[in-house]
Amino acid sequence: MRRMRPREETITVGGIGVHTWIGGQGDPLLVLHGAGGNRGWTRWLDLVSERFTVWAPTHPGFGRSGDADWMDGIDDLARFQLWFIDAAGLGRPHLLGHSIGGWTAAEMVAMSPGAINRLILVAPVGLKPERGEILDIFFYSPAQLLTKTIHDPKTVPEWDALYGTPPTPAQLEIAERNREMTARLTWKPYMHNPRLANFLPRVTNPALIVWGREDQIVPVECGEQYRRLLPNARLTVLEKCSHLPPIEQPDAFARLVLDFLGGESCR
Amino acid sequence: MKLYYFSEMPHHEYPDAEGDKYPSLRLEFPNRFFDRNKAAENYRRYLTEYELADQVGFEGLMINEHHSTPSCVNVGVNMTAAVLGRTTRRAKILLLGNILPIEDNPVRMAEQLAMADLISGGRVLSGFVRGVGVETWWANTNPVHNRERFEECHDLILKCWTAEGPFRWEGRHYHFRHVNPWCLPLQKPHPPIWTPGTASPETAIWAGRRGYTYVPFLVPFDIARELFDYYRQGAAEVGRTVTPDNLGFLICAVTADTTAKAVEAGKHFVWRMGPTLRAPVEWFAPVGMRSRAGQQFALRARPRSLATMSYEELRDGHFIIAGTPDEVAERFALVQRELGVGHLLLEAQESRMDHPTTMRSIELMGAKVIPAVARL
Repeated sequence: MRRMRPREETITVGGIGVHTWIGGQGDPLLVLHGAGGNRGWTRWLDLVSERFTVWAPTHPGFGRSGDADWMDGIDDLARFQLWFIDAAGLGRPHLLGHSIGGWTAAEMVAMSPGAINRLILVAPVGLKPERGEILDIFFYSPAQLLTKTIHDPKTVPEWDALYGTPPTPAQLEIAERNREMTARLTWKPYMHNPRLANFLPRVTNPALIVWGREDQIVPVECGEQYRRLLPNARLTVLEKCSHLPPIEQPDAFARLVLDFLGGESCR
Repeated sequence: MKLYYFSEMPHHEYPDAEGDKYPSLRLEFPNRFFDRNKAAENYRRYLTEYELADQVGFEGLMINEHHSTPSCVNVGVNMTAAVLGRTTRRAKILLLGNILPIEDNPVRMAEQLAMADLISGGRVLSGFVRGVGVETWWANTNPVHNRERFEECHDLILKCWTAEGPFRWEGRHYHFRHVNPWCLPLQKPHPPIWTPGTASPETAIWAGRRGYTYVPFLVPFDIARELFDYYRQGAAEVGRTVTPDNLGFLICAVTADTTAKAVEAGKHFVWRMGPTLRAPVEWFAPVGMRSRAGQQFALRARPRSLATMSYEELRDGHFIIAGTPDEVAERFALVQRELGVGHLLLEAQESRMDHPTTMRSIELMGAKVIPAVARL
């Protein structure tokens, strides 16, 4: 099969235009971004798309997708992304979500376990930490947050492309919009659903949880909580990594994803 | 022009060097620096000053509310209104005001305001404000909903005051199935409503449409004029005529027997312009709290923050007026000529301005300034 070049499309779901990156070959893999927004066709996606067809929608209210002021929480976004699976005709895709996208993925699979194949949660919020706290990201400036989300800029291969130049006014506008929508979805209870822990034990999908050992946004102990609650999950912790494993360690991260999705119980 | 007396009830009772160690005096400055004994003395003192302001002829006593900050420890504006309603006799009690977006029970607020109006014999002027971001953090209310909640909370309070109960309220943010308050304001149909402004065109237009008294706080004259234009735009939309009685303005002011004494006392206002406003931008304006239009106006409106201005510059810009009674009366007249306002709100005590200085300023305002500006 010839590998598809990544392309951008706007897919209309429930009356909202969803800006989506699509590329690769093989079984569909739905990728849900975090609070920082859809970073586009980054290196790890390129690697993973060698064996999977990646669908990476921009959540409503973020980036170049349409508004969804009616949404009040991540469960609304989860329902919406289940609609997206139908609208895009993805069948029963693998699902990977990062940070608030990970929380969204956890809610989706709890709502409809049969709609999802394998599940990958990357430093997801969603559970109240048993120890420590999820950083109040709205209390800090974007510059302060960047220093916390990335362990060591020198080791980030795409640093220059992603963060090397000052943002344009249009990019600043999108960043503000992303923060606003994140606030709309996660303000209270802050970044978690007190009921989620009751849902997860019913999720028997094979699941991989990935965390950065030095995560300064969501305590790494939350990874252990997810692992305990999901009956068929394993946890991998990346060393010298904070909250953005796919950006901080794209090669190692893509390898974990490919190994997990290509595993023997995949089909 | 009518004058109003206002104190933020500050709690500047800690070593400044301690406050300087934190990113802001708000939210994160630990409350172990709150001095309970000093606070007990201060509340009594501040209330005494308000009582004198009532006796010497101020049109109104303005009170406000903030949280998690030594700049203002009046943490319950309705509570203060009830106290003043009993201990004063004639002045209006201007609450400016209740922070509607962070209120979870507008019915309780309608009841409390009604009770203050009844206790005071119908002297409540009910100000409604959107609040600064600090109070949104304090209450943990989603800033994205700030304007929606402000308007819905307002609508429900008004309905409590004007519609016969019982009724049901099923809104976007507020839900009550059995609303039937057994406490209604003395003033009919309800106490006059005031609203302040610093940078939001939407609030000015909203107030203009409803004919509420609109009061810009501590902005340059040209910004105040621009906000008044938005107010007039809102008023024109519904065919309402704007008079000076619809417009107010807030400044800091102190008077004394000599210019030198007044200028010295006026220095206490610098604290509220600088140190108490120091904070990361996210704390005063959390994401989504301001509309795009409001943000753009704010960028234009505040080319220079008050915190960067010297005392002399703050006086030149009429943010602070300090002088003998004749001198301040002259400056108040200038404000009136420049802005055409019918109400001048005087933040007249701040920081560590002591009780005798404050009381003398109130006396002199009553004896000489209030009569002088009453003719304007």
